[in-house]
Amino acid sequence: MRGGEWTRRLAGAFALACLLLLGWAAWMAPEHLSPPDASLAYASPAELPPLGADNRGRPLTEYAMQGARVVALPSVAAGLVVMGFAVLGGLLACVGSSRVGTVIQALGEVVGALPRMLVILVVALVIPKDARGLLPLALTWAVLSAPGAMDEAAAVASRLGGARFVEALRAHGYRGSRIYGWHVVALNLRPVVVRQGAEVMMQVVFLEIALSYLAVVEDQPSFTHADSLVSWADLLNLGYPSLVLDVPSMHALVLGLALIGIVAAMSLCLGVAARAR
Amino acid sequence: MTRWWLRPAVRVVAAIALPLLVPAIITALIWALPGDPASIICPPQSCGGTEVLAARWNLDAGPWSFFWGWLGGAVQGDFGNSWRLQQGVAVAELLREAVPNTLKLLGLAIIPVGLGSVAGARLRIPRGLDAVLQIVGLVPALVLSLVAAAAVTLAYGSAAYGAEANLVRLAAGALVLGLADGALSGAVLGTRDLFQTENKQRYVSVALLRGERRLPNTLPNVAPALAGQLRARLLHLLSGAVVVEVVLRIDGMGDLLWGGTLLQDFGVVLAAATCFSLISSFLLLLQAVVEIVTAWHVRRAPVLSATASTVEAAA
Repeated sequence: MRGGEWTRRLAGAFALACLLLLGWAAWMAPEHLSPPDASLAYASPAELPPLGADNRGRPLTEYAMQGARVVALPSVAAGLVVMGFAVLGGLLACVGSSRVGTVIQALGEVVGALPRMLVILVVALVIPKDARGLLPLALTWAVLSAPGAMDEAAAVASRLGGARFVEALRAHGYRGSRIYGWHVVALNLRPVVVRQGAEVMMQVVFLEIALSYLAVVEDQPSFTHADSLVSWADLLNLGYPSLVLDVPSMHALVLGLALIGIVAAMSLCLGVAARAR
Repeated sequence: MTRWWLRPAVRVVAAIALPLLVPAIITALIWALPGDPASIICPPQSCGGTEVLAARWNLDAGPWSFFWGWLGGAVQGDFGNSWRLQQGVAVAELLREAVPNTLKLLGLAIIPVGLGSVAGARLRIPRGLDAVLQIVGLVPALVLSLVAAAAVTLAYGSAAYGAEANLVRLAAGALVLGLADGALSGAVLGTRDLFQTENKQRYVSVALLRGERRLPNTLPNVAPALAGQLRARLLHLLSGAVVVEVVLRIDGMGDLLWGGTLLQDFGVVLAAATCFSLISSFLLLLQAVVEIVTAWHVRRAPVLSATASTVEAAA
């Protein structure tokens, strides 16, 4: 086996492990944080394994798990939606209809004309307080990302030959499902489709952390989850004072940054694993 | 090629429609929320005089009346008053403070992105650095903003909100915007890929054989795509400005928009969103102008009859 193949397999295994870990943590996350225990305030990972405690002595493991619960489903859903759009863009390029292409391009221009954060904030503004959650914001982000993904997939399909590629395979006697499903999507569009999906997954997690952090520093409830849950942004908020004041909460900051790093690495590895041979 | 004007025309139409469409959609959303808009500002359970307030703020005659009234005022520079963020304060006053700060932040943030684009266009950055650029690009704006905020606080201590510290925060914010969320890596890699693809075209080889330089030949052909990339990058920076301004305490439009959203202050959100859409419109117009100038330049180029020597050189 060549080095490149090993890299792909290792990256795939890492990404899959991270995804499973995220799913497991989300599934096992407690409904509420444990009751405070002042004697364990700011306990380090050595004092309260495996991740230490917050300022009120509650284990940071629960923060990590509840944060995973907040982001797991919406980020995966957003990734899948973008992948679906990218596949659609690629397939439409293979159909070779210039009219459809023009319509999609025009839609992309309109959707892409505004800063994404503005659209997200307007959507957040109108979600009723009792229905707050990351899913509508994640799906909005996915729709905003869709034109770019469709464009890139369409460019790949065009380089492939577009409608002429399909015609050539038809001439070999292949059925439509095999041509589009296997040759176009699975063999040729896969790298770009998976990479786009993984990137959007990562962006949704980062969006959640950003929105929650900005809300928590203003002492306001987050748009992305119920008040009973905490997010990974709370870890950053808890750990940030250790940078500027004499507060022993560095372990919370390290954990928050590590979780962000793991999500980024997972996204990168998914892209590498799906690369063409 | 025959309908070269179609794309710029669509952009001009979108640029005109956007500043009308954005406040119209937000107005529609205000009325789509459960309960009437006046009770959002002044819930009847906690404050009296909701009807009087609704009449004073033109909320009692339905969305159309509110929208046209607001638009008429906005055209004259009157964006109404803040509903909750700084209740009763004129939004125009808030914008007067916020807009220059955001424009300064964006202006400074364009420098690293622009330098990255130039380096990418001139193929000056080796491919070996791609991985480093991509890893830097993965870091979210929030994380870099926190690092910058901590650095400013440590450096200035109690004077962290003084004039000098404010300038440093602005510069740090611009650097964060220029580096985070793939801004720099996208600029370098996107521009380089564009020029490398164009450089493979046969006309470039012919031009080189004729002793001409590469850039003057490729630039007119890549200019529309470059303008599109630049617009996307500026929108990206504008989007990131919300996070950077809130974390670094820069009183800009992003901070205002965030505050308005958090407190459901539709007066502030309407005005801030319209300002954002005006910037987007300006960028759309700029792209349309680049496309028109490029098309005009390409069409006015003299048609030379091929001589035997040029044909030979091309072969």
